[in-house]
Amino acid sequence: MLKVSNATKIYGEGPTRVVALDNVSLTVEDGNFIVIMGPSGSGKSTLLNIIGGLDYLTSGEVILDGKRIDGYDENALVGIRRGKIAYVFQQYHLLPSLTALENVLLPLIFAGDVNSEKGAVDILKGVGLEKRADHKPSQLSGGEQQRVAIARALVNSPGLILADEPTGNMDHKTGYEILELFKRLNEGGRSIVMVTHSPDIAGYAKEIITLQDGQITGRTKQV
Amino acid sequence: MKLYEIVVKDIMRRKRRVLYAALGVVIGTMTVVGILTIASAGETKIYRQLEQYGPNLTVIPAINNLDMKLGNLSMGTLTVGDNYIPQEQLLKIRQIADSSIRQALNITDEGDIATIAPKLYENTKINGVSLVVVGVDPQQERIVKTWWELAKGDYLNEPDQALVGAIAADLLKLNVGDTIALNGSSTKVSGILKETGSADDYQIFIPLATVQSAFNKAGMISSLDIRALCNACPVEMIADSINKNIPGVRAIAVKQIAKSEMGLVEKMNNLMLALAGITLAVGLFGVINTMMASVHERIKDIGIMRAVGASRKQIIRIFIYEAVFIGIVGGLIGYLFGTALAYIIGPLIFEGTTIYVVPQYFPLALIMSIVVAVAATIYPAIQASEIRVADSFRSV
Repeated sequence: MLKVSNATKIYGEGPTRVVALDNVSLTVEDGNFIVIMGPSGSGKSTLLNIIGGLDYLTSGEVILDGKRIDGYDENALVGIRRGKIAYVFQQYHLLPSLTALENVLLPLIFAGDVNSEKGAVDILKGVGLEKRADHKPSQLSGGEQQRVAIARALVNSPGLILADEPTGNMDHKTGYEILELFKRLNEGGRSIVMVTHSPDIAGYAKEIITLQDGQITGRTKQV
Repeated sequence: MKLYEIVVKDIMRRKRRVLYAALGVVIGTMTVVGILTIASAGETKIYRQLEQYGPNLTVIPAINNLDMKLGNLSMGTLTVGDNYIPQEQLLKIRQIADSSIRQALNITDEGDIATIAPKLYENTKINGVSLVVVGVDPQQERIVKTWWELAKGDYLNEPDQALVGAIAADLLKLNVGDTIALNGSSTKVSGILKETGSADDYQIFIPLATVQSAFNKAGMISSLDIRALCNACPVEMIADSINKNIPGVRAIAVKQIAKSEMGLVEKMNNLMLALAGITLAVGLFGVINTMMASVHERIKDIGIMRAVGASRKQIIRIFIYEAVFIGIVGGLIGYLFGTALAYIIGPLIFEGTTIYVVPQYFPLALIMSIVVAVAATIYPAIQASEIRVADSFRSV
């Protein structure tokens, strides 16, 4: 369970001062599927970065499973990235010199976890890419690359997956396939927080939060 | 898959960039290896000359030039002293040399220790060509002239034989078995020497007694070379003793001549090493620059790795692995290029020197390159690992 309290993020000073997040609070319950929506520049990605510890707060708190993580230094954040929270990015961010399987294995290498390597193949199978295991990102389509990224995010069995516009770089059809994947993951018990600016995705979410100019302008729960 | 495998795969993808990064290391290493190799060749040349130049000591007649004056008028210079050393002095000289060496090295053997090679130089004309004939003790001379090699024929075995230097044989169109007229008597060519690059090439060597009788110089020698086999032989002591105890001769230790040449070589070497140091420093800047650029262009990759759980230490390790790789490649290529450079430039600096490959410089070059590459990478790698992950993606 993750809780964000009064999060504020300010960039720059003086004339270049930007308030990216203004006193934002939200709670991610276990098993929730939250979609954060809003126009460009509304602060959605910043919020996601704050939640995941990829960026620092100016003020406020982020509490994960009862512990404050907003003040964590890099070493402590590493622990979170190895099995508590995982990320999926709009640009996939796979390492271009590694194959699909190697990209999926990457988190395990850093975590020093040799035992789960066999499981990685199964995870690739789970996203339907076992036939592409030896391909490098340059040989995969956008949708395939994103599935590799999702498989990579799963390999450490995280409780929470943060996805920043995961379908932003692909066509509708592929996008829906990816969203189906996320839905399956959520049904399997993982919490998902997804940022998007496309209203079509709303149907997949259990909760929709809208942001504008760094502030929450709406919170809707749906079944 | 291990951490270093990630590094290797990434290097394979960026081959050209990595080679370019290694270039700075190559240039620095190449210059240092090149200069050190040339320097060592210069030193080796002198040491080999010391070794090759058979004698440790040369004994020549003591000749004094007296300035003749009548009042304030100069009447020219008068050379006083004989141009020859009486052969009987040989025994005394041998005694001095041998006993000094025996003392210094604690040898109890009563036999001859030092090699003493007398020589009698005579200018003569053979078939109209002016040449120098050298009367020698064949056995002793052979020991002193360690670099002599026969091109044709045999060494001196009979008193009336001649051993001809390479260029003299060419000039006179001599072959083995030919007869040389020697001031009335005649000698047969027993053999022809290979080219030595010294005055020997222009000389004809004939047993001492034959030359003495042919030129009426019985019992006389022009000079003699003394060779003692050991590096620790008290050459200066022997020279001193000879100078003190034997009138009319001067003993000169060959080492002294070589030492001054060495001093010059050392000065040259120091200059070149200074230049190498400067080049290395410049090369170092190049390496640092390239490594910084290399780290910078991987900021996105670093962000990705950290997002999936890489610690800062692991990121730095990855860069150090790459730096080691670059150091090894750069050191290897730098050593090869540096040695090649020495081959090309060396003979221009030290004329006629053969450049020898110095294999000991290889591990030196490797270690130096690796240290340089790693040192140049550490700071930018640490910096890069501290960038906020979110910022890593932003800058792309």
